[in-house]
Amino acid sequence: MNNADANAAWSIVGLLISGLVVWGGVGALLTHLTGLRFFLPVGILLGVVASLYLVVARYGRA
Amino acid sequence: MLTAGRLLAAVPGQCHQLIGHRNGCGFPAPSTDDFDYANKNLFSLHLGSIDFQFNKPVLLELIGVALVMALFLAAFSRPRLVPARGPRLQNIMESVYDFVGLGIARDVIGKEGQKFVPYLVTLFSFVLVVNVFEIIPVAQFPASSRIAIPIYLALISFLIFNYVGIRRKGLIAYFREIVLPPNVPWPLYIILSPIEFFSTIVVRPFTLAVRLFANMFAGHLLLLTFTVATTYLLQPNIQALFGGISFLLTIVLIGFELLVDVLQAYIFTILTAVYISGALAEEH
Repeated sequence: MNNADANAAWSIVGLLISGLVVWGGVGALLTHLTGLRFFLPVGILLGVVASLYLVVARYGRA
Repeated sequence: MLTAGRLLAAVPGQCHQLIGHRNGCGFPAPSTDDFDYANKNLFSLHLGSIDFQFNKPVLLELIGVALVMALFLAAFSRPRLVPARGPRLQNIMESVYDFVGLGIARDVIGKEGQKFVPYLVTLFSFVLVVNVFEIIPVAQFPASSRIAIPIYLALISFLIFNYVGIRRKGLIAYFREIVLPPNVPWPLYIILSPIEFFSTIVVRPFTLAVRLFANMFAGHLLLLTFTVATTYLLQPNIQALFGGISFLLTIVLIGFELLVDVLQAYIFTILTAVYISGALAEEH
């Protein structure tokens, strides 16, 4: 494992958390404002999928 | 300094950790109160609206600063080119310097890392010292378990890696690189850019601070639980057996906490280096 890989590994954890928090947070906010409960799970799923996609786009094709 | 005797005298009849079981208080479980030094000032000063309180975590922090300074000054004030054999101070401090300078700065950042060695060595030494206060008799409190210290250290690291990134690439190019990942069709930026921005600007300093704080907080609670259990269980009956086991576990856990102390100092430093390295790296 070279240094670029090690650096990437540290960043990937942060990205996965961020996706969950940002879009899960937007979902929670919409649920809170509209009262429609499906926004929260949709937001969380969107966040997880988006952050996984982001990890592949940024580090997967190096 | 607060001595144990004065501490006990200060709370007559209350459920104190060391004497609670004699007053029928049950097991005095350690809690966040053990981190609260608000009413245990060594001295306090009121200058108008400024409330200056000097307590044990502050004292330990200042001792940590002084200790790191003194050790490095003593080791390198009259350096020898060919060090004497045996464990002289210069050899020990040089090994700390090499560990951070070669093992972290050069390996993670590369040849540009030399500029950041002073900061990284200082950071590592200071965090290590305030962590290890956790298991030093009399001190027995990791100053880094008060979140103010990790927050300030994380803030300094955060400012440094953003500053070097902005200086290298320019403000707009630096942030464009953060929020616009490569190899992505542009409509997806609507979804991905907030994640990237949040990850770099919020999650990085937050996790840096919380990781150190939470580890030291949990470590101190762990040691407290077993030391308090030892004093609680050591009574002249069968309980003493469990008190003895608790005592042995305390010794094992002190060794474990030493490992955690070193590891957390190392992780804080290497992550700072990783973030600096990322800010300097050219995008391909």
